[in-house]
Amino acid sequence: VTGDRSQGGGRQGPLGSTQTPAPLEQDFDSGSLYALRSAVAAHAAAAGADREQVYDVMAAVHELAANAVRHGAGHGRLRLWAADGVLTCQVSDGGSAEAGPDRAGPPWPSEHGHGLWVIGQVADQLDIDHGPDGTTATAIFALRIPH
Amino acid sequence: VTAEASAQITELAMDDHACLTFGEEEERLDLTAAFVRDGLASGLKVLWLSDAAPQLAADELARRGVEARAAAGSGQMIAAGTGGRLLTGQEFRADGAVGWLARQAEASRQEGFCGLRVAVDMGWALRPVTGIEELPRFEEGIAGVLGGGTASVLCQYDRGRFDPVTLASVAGFHTCSVAAATYYADPVLRVCRQYAPPGIRIAGEIDYQAAEPLGLALSEAVRLDGGIVINMAGLGFADAPCTAMIADAARTMTAAGRAVVLRCQPGVAAGFTRLGLADGPGIRLVIAGDR
Repeated sequence: VTGDRSQGGGRQGPLGSTQTPAPLEQDFDSGSLYALRSAVAAHAAAAGADREQVYDVMAAVHELAANAVRHGAGHGRLRLWAADGVLTCQVSDGGSAEAGPDRAGPPWPSEHGHGLWVIGQVADQLDIDHGPDGTTATAIFALRIPH
Repeated sequence: VTAEASAQITELAMDDHACLTFGEEEERLDLTAAFVRDGLASGLKVLWLSDAAPQLAADELARRGVEARAAAGSGQMIAAGTGGRLLTGQEFRADGAVGWLARQAEASRQEGFCGLRVAVDMGWALRPVTGIEELPRFEEGIAGVLGGGTASVLCQYDRGRFDPVTLASVAGFHTCSVAAATYYADPVLRVCRQYAPPGIRIAGEIDYQAAEPLGLALSEAVRLDGGIVINMAGLGFADAPCTAMIADAARTMTAAGRAVVLRCQPGVAAGFTRLGLADGPGIRLVIAGDR
Protein backbone atom coordinates (compact mmCIF):
# COMPACT_ATOMS: atom_id res chain seq x y z
CA VAL A 1 0.00 0.00 0.00
CA THR A 2 1.36 3.36 -0.98
CA GLY A 3 1.50 5.78 1.90
CA ASP A 4 -0.56 8.93 1.70
CA ARG A 5 1.92 11.75 1.61
CA SER A 6 -0.80 14.26 2.39
CA GLN A 7 -0.05 16.30 -0.67
CA GLY A 8 -2.68 17.44 -3.08
CA GLY A 9 -4.75 20.12 -1.39
CA GLY A 10 -8.10 18.91 -2.62
CA ARG A 11 -7.86 15.79 -0.55
CA GLN A 12 -7.62 17.37 2.88
CA GLY A 13 -10.39 19.89 2.76
CA PRO A 14 -13.93 19.07 3.75
CA LEU A 15 -15.93 17.86 0.77
CA GLY A 16 -17.15 21.45 0.83
CA SER A 17 -17.58 23.05 -2.55
CA THR A 18 -20.15 21.05 -4.47
CA GLN A 19 -18.58 22.28 -7.74
CA THR A 20 -15.26 20.54 -7.17
CA PRO A 21 -15.18 16.90 -8.21
CA ALA A 22 -13.40 14.43 -5.94
CA PRO A 23 -9.67 14.21 -6.57
CA LEU A 24 -8.42 11.30 -8.61
CA GLU A 25 -5.71 9.03 -7.27
CA GLN A 26 -4.67 6.16 -9.45
CA ASP A 27 -1.68 3.85 -9.63
CA PHE A 28 -0.43 2.90 -13.07
CA ASP A 29 2.06 0.75 -14.92
CA SER A 30 2.62 -0.05 -18.58
CA GLY A 31 -0.51 -2.16 -18.74
CA SER A 32 -2.87 0.44 -17.30
CA LEU A 33 -2.01 3.62 -19.21
CA TYR A 34 -5.22 3.26 -21.22
CA ALA A 35 -7.32 3.13 -18.04
CA LEU A 36 -5.36 6.08 -16.67
CA ARG A 37 -6.07 8.21 -19.76
CA SER A 38 -9.73 7.29 -19.61
CA ALA A 39 -10.00 8.28 -15.94
CA VAL A 40 -8.11 11.54 -16.49
CA ALA A 41 -10.34 12.53 -19.41
CA ALA A 42 -13.45 11.86 -17.33
CA HIS A 43 -12.14 13.89 -14.38
CA ALA A 44 -10.94 16.79 -16.52
CA ALA A 45 -14.34 16.96 -18.19
CA ALA A 46 -16.10 16.79 -14.82
CA ALA A 47 -13.90 19.64 -13.59
CA GLY A 48 -15.27 21.75 -16.43
CA ALA A 49 -12.45 21.72 -18.99
CA ASP A 50 -13.53 22.24 -22.59
CA ARG A 51 -13.09 19.46 -25.11
CA GLU A 52 -9.73 20.58 -26.41
CA GLN A 53 -8.34 20.98 -22.91
CA VAL A 54 -9.64 17.58 -21.85
CA TYR A 55 -7.48 16.09 -24.60
CA ASP A 56 -4.47 18.23 -23.60
CA VAL A 57 -4.73 17.18 -19.93
CA MET A 58 -5.09 13.54 -20.89
CA ALA A 59 -2.10 13.76 -23.26
CA ALA A 60 0.06 15.53 -20.66
CA VAL A 61 -0.70 13.00 -17.93
CA HIS A 62 -0.03 10.18 -20.35
CA GLU A 63 3.41 11.57 -21.24
CA LEU A 64 4.34 12.02 -17.57
CA ALA A 65 3.12 8.53 -16.71
CA ALA A 66 4.86 7.01 -19.74
CA ASN A 67 8.09 8.68 -18.58
CA ALA A 68 7.70 7.10 -15.14
CA VAL A 69 7.05 3.71 -16.73
CA ARG A 70 9.85 3.86 -19.28
CA HIS A 71 12.57 5.80 -17.49
CA GLY A 72 11.58 5.51 -13.84
CA ALA A 73 10.46 2.65 -11.65
CA GLY A 74 8.18 1.13 -14.27
CA HIS A 75 5.09 2.23 -12.36
CA GLY A 76 3.80 5.25 -10.51
CA ARG A 77 0.86 7.14 -9.10
CA LEU A 78 -1.22 10.01 -10.39
CA ARG A 79 -3.00 12.56 -8.24
CA LEU A 80 -5.27 14.97 -10.04
CA TRP A 81 -7.42 17.62 -8.46
CA ALA A 82 -9.25 20.81 -9.34
CA ALA A 83 -9.42 23.89 -7.14
CA ASP A 84 -10.03 27.57 -7.83
CA GLY A 85 -10.22 27.13 -11.58
CA VAL A 86 -6.92 25.27 -11.73
CA LEU A 87 -6.40 21.62 -12.54
CA THR A 88 -3.28 20.07 -11.03
CA CYS A 89 -1.83 16.76 -12.25
CA GLN A 90 0.92 15.25 -10.15
CA VAL A 91 2.75 12.14 -11.28
CA SER A 92 5.28 10.45 -9.02
CA ASP A 93 7.32 7.46 -10.07
CA GLY A 94 7.75 6.10 -6.56
CA GLY A 95 11.54 5.84 -6.77
CA SER A 96 13.77 4.76 -9.59
CA ALA A 97 15.77 1.96 -8.01
CA GLU A 98 15.81 0.13 -11.28
CA ALA A 99 15.21 1.63 -14.65
CA GLY A 100 12.50 0.11 -16.77
CA PRO A 101 13.65 -2.21 -19.54
CA ASP A 102 14.76 -0.17 -22.50
CA ARG A 103 12.70 -1.02 -25.54
CA ALA A 104 14.18 -1.54 -28.94
CA GLY A 105 14.10 1.71 -30.84
CA PRO A 106 11.19 2.14 -33.24
CA PRO A 107 12.00 1.98 -36.96
CA TRP A 108 11.08 5.65 -37.31
CA PRO A 109 13.16 7.83 -35.02
CA SER A 110 11.35 10.12 -32.61
CA GLU A 111 12.91 13.04 -30.85
CA HIS A 112 14.12 12.33 -27.37
CA GLY A 113 12.19 14.30 -24.80
CA HIS A 114 9.38 15.03 -27.22
CA GLY A 115 6.83 14.07 -24.57
CA LEU A 116 8.01 16.74 -22.13
CA TRP A 117 8.11 19.26 -24.96
CA VAL A 118 4.46 18.54 -25.73
CA ILE A 119 3.51 19.04 -22.08
CA GLY A 120 5.35 22.36 -22.09
CA GLN A 121 3.23 23.38 -25.07
CA VAL A 122 -0.16 22.50 -23.60
CA ALA A 123 0.20 23.03 -19.83
CA ASP A 124 0.38 26.42 -18.13
CA GLN A 125 3.14 25.25 -15.83
CA LEU A 126 5.34 22.19 -15.48
CA ASP A 127 7.56 21.47 -12.47
CA ILE A 128 9.78 18.44 -12.15
CA ASP A 129 11.21 17.63 -8.75
CA HIS A 130 13.91 14.97 -8.44
CA GLY A 131 13.97 13.90 -4.81
CA PRO A 132 15.44 10.98 -2.86
CA ASP A 133 12.07 9.23 -3.11
CA GLY A 134 11.99 9.51 -6.87
CA THR A 135 10.70 12.05 -9.34
CA THR A 136 7.51 14.01 -9.01
CA ALA A 137 6.25 15.97 -12.01
CA THR A 138 3.45 18.49 -11.65
CA ALA A 139 1.55 19.92 -14.61
CA ILE A 140 -0.89 22.76 -13.99
CA PHE A 141 -3.75 23.83 -16.24
CA ALA A 142 -5.85 26.97 -15.87
CA LEU A 143 -9.30 25.59 -16.62
CA ARG A 144 -10.96 26.87 -19.75
CA ILE A 145 -14.63 26.50 -19.06
CA PRO A 146 -16.66 25.95 -22.26
CA HIS A 147 -19.30 28.58 -22.92
CA VAL B 1 -14.54 -28.25 -51.55
CA THR B 2 -11.76 -25.87 -52.37
CA ALA B 3 -8.85 -25.33 -50.07
CA GLU B 4 -8.97 -21.99 -48.35
CA ALA B 5 -6.17 -19.52 -48.87
CA SER B 6 -5.73 -15.94 -47.89
CA ALA B 7 -5.66 -13.28 -50.59
CA GLN B 8 -5.45 -9.53 -50.73
CA ILE B 9 -8.57 -7.80 -52.00
CA THR B 10 -6.51 -6.34 -54.84
CA GLU B 11 -5.34 -9.78 -56.02
CA LEU B 12 -8.67 -11.48 -56.73
CA ALA B 13 -8.91 -13.43 -60.00
CA MET B 14 -11.79 -13.47 -62.48
CA ASP B 15 -13.35 -16.68 -61.19
CA ASP B 16 -12.71 -16.20 -57.47
CA HIS B 17 -15.49 -16.76 -54.97
CA ALA B 18 -13.95 -14.91 -52.07
CA CYS B 19 -15.06 -14.87 -48.46
CA LEU B 20 -14.50 -11.52 -46.81
CA THR B 21 -14.72 -11.61 -43.03
CA PHE B 22 -14.77 -8.19 -41.46
CA GLY B 23 -14.66 -6.95 -37.88
CA GLU B 24 -16.06 -3.48 -38.39
CA GLU B 25 -18.13 -1.58 -40.93
CA GLU B 26 -15.20 0.64 -41.90
CA GLU B 27 -13.20 -2.43 -42.92
CA ARG B 28 -16.06 -3.86 -45.00
CA LEU B 29 -16.63 -0.58 -46.83
CA ASP B 30 -12.91 -0.05 -47.44
CA LEU B 31 -12.43 -3.52 -48.94
CA THR B 32 -15.66 -3.28 -50.93
CA ALA B 33 -14.61 0.10 -52.36
CA ALA B 34 -11.31 -1.42 -53.51
CA PHE B 35 -13.19 -4.38 -55.06
CA VAL B 36 -15.54 -2.00 -56.91
CA ARG B 37 -12.74 0.36 -57.95
CA ASP B 38 -10.57 -2.39 -59.43
CA GLY B 39 -13.57 -3.98 -61.16
CA LEU B 40 -14.62 -0.73 -62.82
CA ALA B 41 -11.03 -0.01 -63.84
CA SER B 42 -10.86 -3.45 -65.52
CA GLY B 43 -14.02 -2.76 -67.50
CA LEU B 44 -16.13 -5.27 -65.57
CA LYS B 45 -19.74 -4.83 -64.64
CA VAL B 46 -20.01 -4.43 -60.87
CA LEU B 47 -22.97 -5.31 -58.63
CA TRP B 48 -23.02 -4.41 -54.95
CA LEU B 49 -25.83 -5.98 -52.97
CA SER B 50 -26.35 -4.70 -49.44
CA ASP B 51 -29.07 -3.49 -47.14
CA ALA B 52 -27.84 0.09 -47.45
CA ALA B 53 -29.69 2.46 -49.75
CA PRO B 54 -28.05 2.80 -53.20
CA GLN B 55 -27.34 6.50 -52.56
CA LEU B 56 -25.51 5.60 -49.36
CA ALA B 57 -23.35 3.11 -51.27
CA ALA B 58 -22.48 5.81 -53.82
CA ASP B 59 -21.60 8.24 -51.02
CA GLU B 60 -19.38 5.68 -49.29
CA LEU B 61 -17.56 5.01 -52.56
CA ALA B 62 -17.09 8.72 -53.25
CA ARG B 63 -15.77 9.25 -49.72
CA ARG B 64 -13.10 6.67 -50.54
CA GLY B 65 -12.10 8.25 -53.81
CA VAL B 66 -14.06 5.83 -56.03
CA GLU B 67 -16.13 7.85 -58.48
CA ALA B 68 -18.92 5.43 -59.38
CA ARG B 69 -21.64 7.87 -60.39
CA ALA B 70 -20.70 7.86 -64.07
CA ALA B 71 -20.48 4.05 -64.00
CA ALA B 72 -23.90 3.93 -62.32
CA GLY B 73 -25.31 6.20 -65.04
CA SER B 74 -23.97 3.97 -67.82
CA GLY B 75 -25.16 0.74 -66.20
CA GLN B 76 -21.64 -0.53 -65.44
CA MET B 77 -22.23 -0.27 -61.69
CA ILE B 78 -25.38 -1.21 -59.81
CA ALA B 79 -25.81 -0.84 -56.05
CA ALA B 80 -28.99 -2.47 -54.85
CA GLY B 81 -30.70 -4.20 -51.96
CA THR B 82 -31.01 -7.97 -51.58
CA GLY B 83 -34.81 -7.95 -51.77
CA GLY B 84 -36.12 -9.19 -55.14
CA ARG B 85 -32.64 -10.46 -55.99
CA LEU B 86 -31.28 -12.95 -53.46
CA LEU B 87 -34.47 -12.85 -51.43
CA THR B 88 -38.15 -12.89 -52.23
CA GLY B 89 -39.73 -10.97 -49.41
CA GLN B 90 -38.38 -12.66 -46.30
CA GLU B 91 -37.84 -15.95 -48.07
CA PHE B 92 -34.55 -17.38 -49.28
CA ARG B 93 -34.18 -20.17 -51.79
CA ALA B 94 -30.65 -21.23 -52.78
CA ASP B 95 -31.68 -22.26 -56.30
CA GLY B 96 -33.49 -18.99 -56.88
CA ALA B 97 -30.53 -16.91 -55.66
CA VAL B 98 -27.99 -18.87 -57.71
CA GLY B 99 -30.27 -18.59 -60.74
CA TRP B 100 -30.47 -14.82 -60.27
CA LEU B 101 -26.65 -14.64 -60.16
CA ALA B 102 -26.35 -16.76 -63.32
CA ARG B 103 -28.77 -14.42 -65.13
CA GLN B 104 -26.68 -11.40 -64.06
CA ALA B 105 -23.51 -13.03 -65.44
CA GLU B 106 -25.29 -13.76 -68.73
CA ALA B 107 -26.74 -10.25 -68.91
CA SER B 108 -23.34 -8.64 -68.34
CA ARG B 109 -21.97 -10.62 -71.29
CA GLN B 110 -24.84 -9.54 -73.51
CA GLU B 111 -24.29 -5.94 -72.47
CA GLY B 112 -20.75 -6.24 -73.77
CA PHE B 113 -18.83 -6.29 -70.49
CA CYS B 114 -15.82 -8.59 -70.31
CA GLY B 115 -16.94 -9.90 -66.95
CA LEU B 116 -18.92 -9.40 -63.74
CA ARG B 117 -18.00 -8.66 -60.14
CA VAL B 118 -20.55 -9.11 -57.38
CA ALA B 119 -20.11 -7.98 -53.78
CA VAL B 120 -22.74 -9.36 -51.42
CA ASP B 121 -23.18 -8.16 -47.86
CA MET B 122 -24.45 -11.31 -46.13
CA GLY B 123 -25.99 -9.32 -43.27
CA TRP B 124 -29.46 -10.32 -44.53
CA ALA B 125 -28.71 -13.87 -43.36
CA LEU B 126 -28.72 -12.63 -39.77
CA ARG B 127 -32.37 -11.64 -40.03
CA PRO B 128 -35.21 -14.11 -39.45
CA VAL B 129 -35.40 -15.29 -43.05
CA THR B 130 -37.25 -18.42 -44.16
CA GLY B 131 -34.96 -20.96 -45.83
CA ILE B 132 -31.78 -19.71 -44.21
CA GLU B 133 -30.69 -23.34 -43.80
CA GLU B 134 -30.07 -23.31 -47.57
CA LEU B 135 -27.23 -20.80 -47.15
CA PRO B 136 -24.42 -23.41 -47.54
CA ARG B 137 -26.16 -24.76 -50.67
CA PHE B 138 -26.20 -21.23 -52.11
CA GLU B 139 -22.50 -20.78 -51.43
CA GLU B 140 -21.81 -24.18 -53.00
CA GLY B 141 -23.91 -23.34 -56.07
CA ILE B 142 -21.98 -20.16 -56.81
CA ALA B 143 -19.10 -22.27 -58.16
CA GLY B 144 -21.33 -23.31 -61.07
CA VAL B 145 -22.02 -19.69 -61.98
CA LEU B 146 -18.32 -18.83 -61.93
CA GLY B 147 -17.32 -21.79 -64.09
CA GLY B 148 -17.01 -19.65 -67.19
CA GLY B 149 -14.17 -17.68 -65.70
CA THR B 150 -15.73 -14.28 -66.29
CA ALA B 151 -17.40 -13.65 -62.95
CA SER B 152 -16.21 -13.29 -59.36
CA VAL B 153 -18.18 -13.00 -56.13
CA LEU B 154 -17.18 -11.44 -52.82
CA CYS B 155 -19.33 -12.64 -49.91
CA GLN B 156 -19.06 -10.42 -46.85
CA TYR B 157 -19.52 -11.92 -43.40
CA ASP B 158 -19.38 -9.99 -40.14
CA ARG B 159 -17.13 -12.20 -38.02
CA GLY B 160 -18.49 -10.69 -34.82
CA ARG B 161 -22.15 -11.41 -35.63
CA PHE B 162 -22.11 -14.69 -37.52
CA ASP B 163 -21.62 -17.71 -35.29
CA PRO B 164 -18.52 -19.84 -35.89
CA VAL B 165 -20.62 -22.85 -36.95
CA THR B 166 -22.26 -20.92 -39.79
CA LEU B 167 -18.95 -19.39 -40.86
CA ALA B 168 -17.32 -22.83 -40.87
CA SER B 169 -20.21 -24.32 -42.87
CA VAL B 170 -19.76 -21.82 -45.71
CA ALA B 171 -15.99 -21.17 -45.59
CA GLY B 172 -15.07 -24.28 -47.55
CA PHE B 173 -17.15 -23.28 -50.58
CA HIS B 174 -15.04 -20.18 -51.16
CA THR B 175 -11.86 -20.20 -53.24
CA CYS B 176 -10.07 -17.82 -50.90
CA SER B 177 -10.53 -15.71 -47.81
CA VAL B 178 -10.00 -11.97 -47.73
CA ALA B 179 -9.42 -9.63 -44.81
CA ALA B 180 -7.61 -6.35 -44.33
CA ALA B 181 -3.87 -6.84 -43.72
CA THR B 182 -3.61 -6.17 -40.00
CA TYR B 183 -0.44 -5.02 -38.25
CA TYR B 184 -1.90 -4.89 -34.79
CA ALA B 185 -5.26 -5.53 -33.18
CA ASP B 186 -6.37 -5.63 -29.57
CA PRO B 187 -9.45 -4.22 -27.86
CA VAL B 188 -7.85 -0.76 -27.62
CA LEU B 189 -6.00 -0.39 -30.92
CA ARG B 190 -6.22 -1.54 -34.51
CA VAL B 191 -3.59 -0.79 -37.16
CA CYS B 192 -4.36 -2.12 -40.63
CA ARG B 193 -3.91 -1.48 -44.34
CA GLN B 194 -6.44 0.70 -46.07
CA TYR B 195 -7.21 -0.18 -49.67
CA ALA B 196 -9.43 2.65 -50.92
CA PRO B 197 -7.81 5.11 -50.90
CA PRO B 198 -4.45 3.34 -50.35
CA GLY B 199 -2.73 3.86 -47.04
CA ILE B 200 -3.13 2.73 -43.46
CA ARG B 201 -5.89 3.03 -40.91
CA ILE B 202 -5.26 3.49 -37.21
CA ALA B 203 -8.24 3.29 -34.85
CA GLY B 204 -8.61 3.31 -31.09
CA GLU B 205 -5.75 4.74 -29.03
CA ILE B 206 -2.04 4.42 -29.77
CA ASP B 207 1.04 4.93 -27.63
CA TYR B 208 4.73 3.99 -27.60
CA GLN B 209 3.92 0.37 -26.78
CA ALA B 210 2.65 -0.04 -30.35
CA ALA B 211 5.62 1.70 -31.95
CA GLU B 212 6.79 -1.50 -33.61
CA PRO B 213 3.60 -2.40 -35.55
CA LEU B 214 3.11 1.29 -36.33
CA GLY B 215 6.63 1.45 -37.75
CA LEU B 216 5.93 -1.64 -39.88
CA ALA B 217 2.66 -0.19 -41.16
CA LEU B 218 4.33 3.12 -42.03
CA SER B 219 7.23 1.35 -43.75
CA GLU B 220 4.79 -0.61 -45.92
CA ALA B 221 2.82 2.55 -46.70
CA VAL B 222 6.04 4.14 -47.89
CA ARG B 223 6.49 1.23 -50.31
CA LEU B 224 3.02 1.66 -51.86
CA ASP B 225 2.77 3.69 -55.06
CA GLY B 226 1.46 7.21 -55.26
CA GLY B 227 -0.30 9.29 -52.63
CA ILE B 228 -1.06 7.92 -49.20
CA VAL B 229 -3.91 8.44 -46.74
CA ILE B 230 -3.23 7.84 -43.08
CA ASN B 231 -6.77 7.43 -41.84
CA MET B 232 -6.97 8.23 -38.13
CA ALA B 233 -10.64 9.24 -38.12
CA GLY B 234 -11.26 6.58 -35.49
CA LEU B 235 -8.17 7.35 -33.43
CA GLY B 236 -8.98 8.97 -30.09
CA PHE B 237 -5.42 9.39 -28.83
CA ALA B 238 -1.86 9.37 -30.16
CA ASP B 239 1.06 9.93 -27.80
CA ALA B 240 4.10 12.08 -28.59
CA PRO B 241 6.41 9.32 -29.91
CA CYS B 242 3.75 7.88 -32.26
CA THR B 243 2.75 11.36 -33.46
CA ALA B 244 6.41 12.05 -34.22
CA MET B 245 6.78 8.70 -36.05
CA ILE B 246 3.78 9.42 -38.27
CA ALA B 247 5.03 12.96 -38.90
CA ASP B 248 8.48 11.66 -39.87
CA ALA B 249 6.96 9.11 -42.25
CA ALA B 250 4.76 11.79 -43.81
CA ARG B 251 7.77 14.05 -44.33
CA THR B 252 9.76 11.19 -45.86
CA MET B 253 6.99 10.58 -48.38
CA THR B 254 6.42 14.22 -49.28
CA ALA B 255 10.17 14.67 -49.71
CA ALA B 256 9.87 11.99 -52.41
CA GLY B 257 7.15 14.03 -54.10
CA ARG B 258 4.20 12.02 -52.82
CA ALA B 259 1.02 13.55 -51.44
CA VAL B 260 0.06 12.60 -47.90
CA VAL B 261 -3.35 13.06 -46.29
CA LEU B 262 -3.59 12.85 -42.52
CA ARG B 263 -7.22 12.39 -41.56
CA CYS B 264 -7.73 12.81 -37.83
CA GLN B 265 -9.81 14.11 -34.95
CA PRO B 266 -9.03 17.57 -33.52
CA GLY B 267 -6.93 16.40 -30.54
CA VAL B 268 -4.67 14.20 -32.65
CA ALA B 269 -4.55 16.87 -35.36
CA ALA B 270 -3.25 19.41 -32.84
CA GLY B 271 -0.24 17.14 -32.26
CA PHE B 272 0.64 17.27 -35.97
CA THR B 273 0.05 21.02 -36.09
CA ARG B 274 2.49 21.50 -33.19
CA LEU B 275 5.10 19.66 -35.27
CA GLY B 276 4.52 22.08 -38.14
CA LEU B 277 2.79 19.59 -40.41
CA ALA B 278 -0.38 21.59 -41.06
CA ASP B 279 1.33 23.85 -43.57
CA GLY B 280 3.93 21.45 -44.95
CA PRO B 281 4.13 21.09 -48.73
CA GLY B 282 2.34 18.00 -49.99
CA ILE B 283 0.71 17.28 -46.63
CA ARG B 284 -2.99 17.78 -46.10
CA LEU B 285 -4.34 17.67 -42.55
CA VAL B 286 -8.05 16.86 -42.70
CA ILE B 287 -10.13 17.10 -39.55
CA ALA B 288 -12.53 14.18 -39.41
CA GLY B 289 -16.00 14.65 -37.99
CA ASP B 290 -17.02 12.85 -34.86
CA ARG B 291 -17.51 9.17 -35.38
